[in-house]
Amino acid sequence: MEEFFVQARRFLAEQLGIEEDLIQMETTFEEINADSIDIVEMIMALEDIYDVEFPEEDLENYPTMGSLVSALYEYLMQVKNA
Amino acid sequence: MRIALDVMGGDYAPQEIIAGAVDFVEREKLKLILVGREEVIKEELAKYNYKGDLLEIVNASEVIGMDESPVAALRKKKDASIVIATKLVREGKADAVVSCGSTGAQMAAAVFILGRMADIERPPIITPVPNQNDGYTFLIDVGANVDCRPRQLLQFALLGKVYASAVMNIDNPRIALLNNGEEETKGSHLYVEAYNLLKEAGEINFIGNIEGRYIFDGKADVIVCDGFTGNIVLKTIEGVSLFIARNVARELGKLPSFFSKMDYTKIGGAPLLGINGVSIVCHGSSKREAVYNGLCVARDCVEKDIVRKQAAMLAQMKEN
Repeated sequence: MEEFFVQARRFLAEQLGIEEDLIQMETTFEEINADSIDIVEMIMALEDIYDVEFPEEDLENYPTMGSLVSALYEYLMQVKNA
Repeated sequence: MRIALDVMGGDYAPQEIIAGAVDFVEREKLKLILVGREEVIKEELAKYNYKGDLLEIVNASEVIGMDESPVAALRKKKDASIVIATKLVREGKADAVVSCGSTGAQMAAAVFILGRMADIERPPIITPVPNQNDGYTFLIDVGANVDCRPRQLLQFALLGKVYASAVMNIDNPRIALLNNGEEETKGSHLYVEAYNLLKEAGEINFIGNIEGRYIFDGKADVIVCDGFTGNIVLKTIEGVSLFIARNVARELGKLPSFFSKMDYTKIGGAPLLGINGVSIVCHGSSKREAVYNGLCVARDCVEKDIVRKQAAMLAQMKEN
């Protein structure tokens, strides 16, 4: 999970032009001014890395980096263990 | 040349979109790919006596509505008309895509499917407004990006410069920032920060802030703003023009020809810049004539080779 989070964070930080440390599990996307395109691009980058297609979810249900990344990771584990 | 038209997008889709499409192929003799629900398109086309072979239909079973979250809808509806039409451009089967549907979805489709040019985070929409010098001043962004970061306004300025100089042949275009005063400390945080970035940018001929009342003076060639502000400004211009036109027509019994320059149905559409393809955004309320003119804008953008010219000039600016 930690590596998954680090990869997601690295991509998003680069995308937004901010320090990686500014993005923690509890950080809200609103706090770092990440819009839906930024978030979906991060999801797509993770899809490329892990060769998986995450299900379409309503992004509003995941206001924080931690909530979204945890849900994505949980899905990834389900797919891998299936 | 082939243009892909999203037949399902817009307040008057598909009837008015198809009417504009038929006008376009009959007058311009260029190929159109109508993208949308095949049975609906066939039923609508049956109303016309068009016998030529310039209209092709590509089926798309879904539509992204104006009320949907654009990015989420784009991922959910993989068979949406704007998705399929934009993919035709990426695959080289069409030279441009035109839509009167959700601007957000069209912009997101452009970003995810066509891809952005290097160092451009969000594609803005650029559109001409007539000015006092019998020329045009270009407003950028007029609606693709509601929330912007300061550096994105700088990127819009660079794209505005590229479009004005490389495509519209304006030498060393004067770039201004739309604001509520001329002083550099005016405006919201976004605009104060953007002002500083524009001032420091050596690549552009930045002439400072400009107030809304001077948009038509011809003092600037390109006026930069965020898409929220730009869209309100553009629609206010349209509304005021219509209001004046109606009253002038009532008093004079006819309308001076000048007013056609202010009529959005005559302008038709506007390109998204900074993406690897031609994508023309049209008014949601476009009817037959506006659709026809929007398709003409797409044709012009392809003929003027706007994608290659933008990419070449952005690369050149980066080298310098």
